[in-house]
Amino acid sequence: MAGSVRIRNLHKSFAGQEVLHGIDLDFAAGSVTVILGPSGSGKSTLLRCINHLESPDAGYVEVGDEIVGYRRDGHRLRERSPREVARQRSRIGMVFQQFNLFGHQTAAQNIMEGQLASGVPSDQARKRASELLARVGLAGRENAYPSALSGGQQQRVAIARALATDPDLILFDEPTSALDPELVGEVLAVIRDLADSGITLVIVTHEIGFAREVADKVIFVDHGRVVESGSPAAVLDHTENDRARTFLSAVL
Amino acid sequence: MPLLTAATPSVRRREVAAPADDLGQAALVGRRRPLQWVVAIAGVVVLAMLVNTLLTNPRFEWQVVGDYLFSNAILRGLVLTLWLTAAVMVSGYLLGIAVAALRLSDNAVLRSVSFGFVWFVRSVPPLVQLLFWFELASLYPRLSLGIPFGPEFVSVQTAHLLSAVAAAYVALTIDVAAFASEIIRGGILSVDRGQTEAADSLGLSRARTFRRVVLPQAMPAIIPASGNLLIGMLKATSLVSVIAVQDLLGATELIYNDNFKVIPLLIVATLWYLLLTSLLSVLQFGLERRFSRGTRRADRPSLPAVWRSNLPVFPHRRPRAGR
Repeated sequence: MAGSVRIRNLHKSFAGQEVLHGIDLDFAAGSVTVILGPSGSGKSTLLRCINHLESPDAGYVEVGDEIVGYRRDGHRLRERSPREVARQRSRIGMVFQQFNLFGHQTAAQNIMEGQLASGVPSDQARKRASELLARVGLAGRENAYPSALSGGQQQRVAIARALATDPDLILFDEPTSALDPELVGEVLAVIRDLADSGITLVIVTHEIGFAREVADKVIFVDHGRVVESGSPAAVLDHTENDRARTFLSAVL
Repeated sequence: MPLLTAATPSVRRREVAAPADDLGQAALVGRRRPLQWVVAIAGVVVLAMLVNTLLTNPRFEWQVVGDYLFSNAILRGLVLTLWLTAAVMVSGYLLGIAVAALRLSDNAVLRSVSFGFVWFVRSVPPLVQLLFWFELASLYPRLSLGIPFGPEFVSVQTAHLLSAVAAAYVALTIDVAAFASEIIRGGILSVDRGQTEAADSLGLSRARTFRRVVLPQAMPAIIPASGNLLIGMLKATSLVSVIAVQDLLGATELIYNDNFKVIPLLIVATLWYLLLTSLLSVLQFGLERRFSRGTRRADRPSLPAVWRSNLPVFPHRRPRAGR
């Protein structure tokens, strides 16, 4: 299936410090996975390895039937050209903690940019941008610059932008952590609407209630290792792991 | 009560007799600014002295200034200054973008080449570089194109290759490229890394990311410094008068070497440089407004509004976004 994810033996170090110590994970196509863990546990790095914003030191990530960032070359994995990586990334959306909307472009232009890059004609891209803005509850805000939008609105534009290239998979890196508390709900509502869309969602978040409600699978990462993995009920309510229990009692 | 206060008229109109103990109803007025008056009067006196000397000192010879201001020789020099500046800035910036790109590349060899180029060009005075290019023929009488240490395909006399104007063009282009590359590099580094990551995650190619995402947002940091460089270069082209190129200054020199009217002719050159620099400043202001789209500075006041706000006779508030 197009949106399935397979992670095998993933290792990553920064300046000699190993952040990921061999991760093995599988996410089914169309599933919703929530990744929990204390800060510094490596969950963001894990997410960024999936679309090759970080390149692994060992192991690989497979999305659909393609290894991201590498191609098989006999028994080696050979780095792909930037053009091929860009093509792979256009099938993987990403939503950032700090939104990262293009500040010099309007909401519509932000949503059009990825489509234009993959050759969609501009009138078609504009039409799709308007549809997507309506879908995230921002109909009519095509010409608003990010600086004129609230954090919650910016993040919804960012989600629309990630949807614009019809990805099989969307990665959310703490999408509500930079938001004022009263704006968290509107962003989670938009993500909730995507849960049954057939797009695979992988969400790093601290919103435990949200995880319980929408996740098919919850992963708990600590010190660069997957220490718990299973249904929301199993991980959130019946964890045997001490680290996970301490963390959950702190954030709940 | 001073005439110049920061209080808005609407506040002043509500100035009604309030009970002494009810300060909640009191009129809010600006603080007194006596120093503003002192400075204004001193400024008027200095201005009057300046106007007086300009009008009464016969050695300014305004008649001569008027005679030469629009003379053909001066206008020809002016045209050369203008197109040399334009040509040097365009080619210098194209080269500068390339040098900045090399400096930011992953390739250590290219980074070193870029660093070495900028180090060398910034270290040698532009006048020295200009003379080197002008005297290139005495260093390399022939230039040839071929395989290094191997056969030559084409060979030309260097003296035929570089006229004085061409030497000026090459030397100044290289000078602009070195400074422009640093300005551009600074601008690129000022753009948040998250912007590039977002572009990467959308599958934009590196060239497209640079052109559509990074460069437009680097412009607010690039324009003010580039305006500086452009105005500096407009004046630095006067260096070429040293190698007998008839630019604006070269043309005036030629005339006053003949008629000894040094001061009036230098005033002619000064007036033209003042006019050109003022026009370029207006252009820069417009560009800064245009590239502040999407930022909080986008609602900056127009140029006339900024000027008015700097003159005390107009009771406008100084705009917070003004320069």
